[in-house]
Amino acid sequence: MKLNALLRSPWVFHLSTGSCNNCDIEVLDCLTPRFDIERFGMLLAGSIKHADVLLITGSCNRQSVERLKRLYEQVPKPCLVAAIGECALSRGMFIHSYNCPEPLDKIIPVDVYIPGCPPKPEAIIAGVVKLIERVKAKT
Amino acid sequence: MTREGVLNDIRERFQSDIIEVLDKSDKRVYIEIKPEAIVKIATHIFRNLGARFNIASGVDVRSHMEILYHFTIDEIGLVVSVRVKLDRSRPEIDSLAPSFEAANWIEREMHELLGIEFKGHPDMRRLLLSDEWPEGVYPLRQDYVEWDEKAIRDRGV
Amino acid sequence: MIYPLYLLYLIVYGFILTAALGLLASWVDRKVTARVQYRVGPPVLQPFIDIAKLLGKETLIPAGASRLPFLAAPVVGLAGVILVSTLLWVNDIYPEKSFLGDLIVVLYLLIIPSLTIILGGFASGNPLASLGASREMKLVLAYELPFVLAVLVPVIKSGFSISIGEILSFQAENGATALSLAGFLALIVVIMCMQAKLALVPFDIPEAETEIIGGPLIEYSGAALAVYRLMKNMLLCTLPFFVMILFMGGLRFDGIHLLYGVLKFIGLVALITVVRNTNPRLRIDQAVRFFWGPMTLLAVIAVELALLGW
Repeated sequence: MKLNALLRSPWVFHLSTGSCNNCDIEVLDCLTPRFDIERFGMLLAGSIKHADVLLITGSCNRQSVERLKRLYEQVPKPCLVAAIGECALSRGMFIHSYNCPEPLDKIIPVDVYIPGCPPKPEAIIAGVVKLIERVKAKT
Repeated sequence: MTREGVLNDIRERFQSDIIEVLDKSDKRVYIEIKPEAIVKIATHIFRNLGARFNIASGVDVRSHMEILYHFTIDEIGLVVSVRVKLDRSRPEIDSLAPSFEAANWIEREMHELLGIEFKGHPDMRRLLLSDEWPEGVYPLRQDYVEWDEKAIRDRGV
Repeated sequence: MIYPLYLLYLIVYGFILTAALGLLASWVDRKVTARVQYRVGPPVLQPFIDIAKLLGKETLIPAGASRLPFLAAPVVGLAGVILVSTLLWVNDIYPEKSFLGDLIVVLYLLIIPSLTIILGGFASGNPLASLGASREMKLVLAYELPFVLAVLVPVIKSGFSISIGEILSFQAENGATALSLAGFLALIVVIMCMQAKLALVPFDIPEAETEIIGGPLIEYSGAALAVYRLMKNMLLCTLPFFVMILFMGGLRFDGIHLLYGVLKFIGLVALITVVRNTNPRLRIDQAVRFFWGPMTLLAVIAVELALLGW
């Protein structure tokens, strides 16, 4: 029942762990009135303590691993995680880089992967909606 | 000063230190100099020719190491790149940070990523790499070997 | 023997009716904002679902926060709003039950929600929360002055009576306060102060999202945040209702006046939404200067005109 309410009013929080900011721009486009996400009940949460869905971009470089873990502890559970863009999926073309030792899903549990470099805002919305449908079907 | 004026001035003043001048195009000039003369040439270009210190780039070519200092003269639209070739086994050069503040951070970055030593730099601290990175390992060198055995380098498919 | 009756008033009028109306008013606000921005808005039950979802999340208390004020502040704020709503509804439905001086009680209790936001902000142990709380303090200091001055106008006009029931009966016989010149000026001042009390643009300085990320509520999560949001939404019902009682004759239940009352309420909420959507946010010093300058002057002029009989 509480997951049902969470799926009908997911508040998103945008987090970048060292990206080139292209995916961040696309996530920001998603929140504009053109791709209206308020019809799904989604709002942009200012503080991470108000967040239900984390939209994470960027390949985690060594400095942001520690901070990402601490931020994940501060999100009130239950919480869903969406990895956006190639760098968040598997570090993309930076897979042999000296500064990105581990992919995102070895650090925190990820619920949906949205590929693209960067993914279009329509793709981001479709991905989050698919996540909601899938979690609803599982419960 | 026009473009020709700038080039003639540099050629006359530092005739003994210049190894080669490469007129690449209308907007770019590469001047290769001996490493000992970098401070006086750089301060002359910066202060007397009205240039702005843009950035410096360090490259590890396998035979030697190079540093290029890029100065832009905005009134005539010219980029003067001063090239210095360093010995790969012991790369060291005089620091430009005491002369102008703009060179401070880029020299710190070149030191920690390439291992070039800048003599006389006032504040050689770590700039970009994380705290767990070991000393003496320079990632942008051609012979860099991965030291972290916990790193995951395959996609798992 | 009368205590169960009062408890009934408290729960039904004060809590359930106000919460339902407040959450519906908040939906009207979001839907009108969405339509103005040429997009579809949230569904009707969205504010209810927001509160229900927040009740299901865990409440995290930061290590540097003082536990008791942190957890008690939202509850005290909600209790204050419930009390005010009970008083206003009971006085509106049964005007003979009002007692002498209950206008002062209402004014006094209306400060409690803002106080608890300040308390919660300072109890959070976060510098951004303290910044938001201090801005809220300055805003409260700013708008309380013209608010109290403007509330004097219906008091003067209805024969110097400070009980809400008498103000309502006076307006029932002699027409609404807002139809006179003094009343109209005072209504403008009160609407501006209401916008500031609800912390809506152009006065949402304490919770400026892009500047201080949520302001005093930055460390709240789960059930505590649900109580705060419920308190804010209930204020969206209580404050327009207060303005209606003092200036527009309240909500009368006989025949056509019921429809007029509902239209007045929706009109006030729509006015709040339109002002919210067409204005940028002010800085705190601009807001303080606005309230202590033009608004206080307007309120003083309104009081003078009311004393002269206009």
